[in-house]
Amino acid sequence: MRRITARGALVALLMGVLATPCFAEKAGIGWKETIAAKSGKAKTLAELAKMYDSSSCVECHQEQHEQSQKSIHSRSIFGTARTAMTIMTTIENGLMEEPYSGVKSPKDVKVEHLMGCAKCHLPQLRDAEDSVAQELVSTLYSWKDAKKKKDKEAVAKYEEKLKSVSINCLICHNRNAITHKWQDGYPKAGVVYGSKGGDHPADKFPKMAESPIMSEAIQCGQCHGLGPNLELDEPTQCCTSYGSYLWAYKAEVGQQSCQDCHMKKSKLGHNIQGYRDTAMTDKAVDFNVEAFGYHWRDGAQIAPKAVVKVEMVNRSGHSIPDG
Amino acid sequence: MPVPQQLARGDRMGRGPYEKSGLIEDTGLPPGKTVKERFDIMYPLTEVEESGKTVNKPSAYDLDVEVKLWYLPFGTPNGDPFLWREFSKTVSISKSGK
Repeated sequence: MRRITARGALVALLMGVLATPCFAEKAGIGWKETIAAKSGKAKTLAELAKMYDSSSCVECHQEQHEQSQKSIHSRSIFGTARTAMTIMTTIENGLMEEPYSGVKSPKDVKVEHLMGCAKCHLPQLRDAEDSVAQELVSTLYSWKDAKKKKDKEAVAKYEEKLKSVSINCLICHNRNAITHKWQDGYPKAGVVYGSKGGDHPADKFPKMAESPIMSEAIQCGQCHGLGPNLELDEPTQCCTSYGSYLWAYKAEVGQQSCQDCHMKKSKLGHNIQGYRDTAMTDKAVDFNVEAFGYHWRDGAQIAPKAVVKVEMVNRSGHSIPDG
Repeated sequence: MPVPQQLARGDRMGRGPYEKSGLIEDTGLPPGKTVKERFDIMYPLTEVEESGKTVNKPSAYDLDVEVKLWYLPFGTPNGDPFLWREFSKTVSISKSGK
């Protein structure tokens, strides 16, 4: 009888351990107060969307919401469809061809495999279980299949699902609002990080706190890259604009931040754009051309020519093109 | 455009994010630096008889010059090209003179 009781207790203890959020312990203080640590890892895409659900922001921040919906950040996994396609290319031409990745087919893809893309396109995927990586991959392939079959209804359904998770308010204003977590603390659940602290009249986010980096370039630099992501077991590289900003612009040219040009001077606010918007492109490049003709002489031969002199100055804070 | 190195080794360019690591060169416009390009375009010539001699004369005295600054996201004009700036001018040369 006693043995049965002990076994029952052991089973209960094991169940308790399994039910605890599966996050690796961190060395720093306060990480258990983050949204991810409090919620536990998401098991489905819907759970991940709910974990970082920013729909409650819209009621008071309508303008910023409408702006952000025009930005590709609001569909960061789908992109212009090119992002969705590139993730599948990464699986097939990258992961499946890499002999030590452990991926023989899309069904083997785990969160760690996707972080090469998701580090920037869906950083919160780090807060999800492998089942979410699988759901994401199967949705991508279902979307591709539906497109091939020209099944518009299915295409729309899968697109909608892929757009259910994105770089939304809470990614910039909570999850990624603090880069130096041992200095500034981990971003806390229930707190919206921005330019000031105080009370915030929202049930799920009753507090505001100042993010030390919200107007600094590093806020954007978390994703808009230095070069290869060497922290990954298999480094990836997309845009390198933050590297260009630091070493080509800040080092030699100027002191503006990403936000200065892409949000403030452009007047685009949270509709953060690049070359797709004339507010950015008109100011980015000086382009002066001089053209004239004359009768050039090659010895005795008259060989008239037109001379075209082009002078360009990139007025942005990074190499053009970059991203 | 920053030309990425394939897997951060050798002389091959990488294409997908899974194989891009590092740079081989950057063909883009660097911030704050003046980049100059010069083009010399020869007028078309035709051979004509003049005072019993065969000489070259321009077959046109006006050239329509167009300069376009393109961003080619896929590296080719066939894939979603973006026209950043353009310039056009008719460049004329004199029809008389020694």
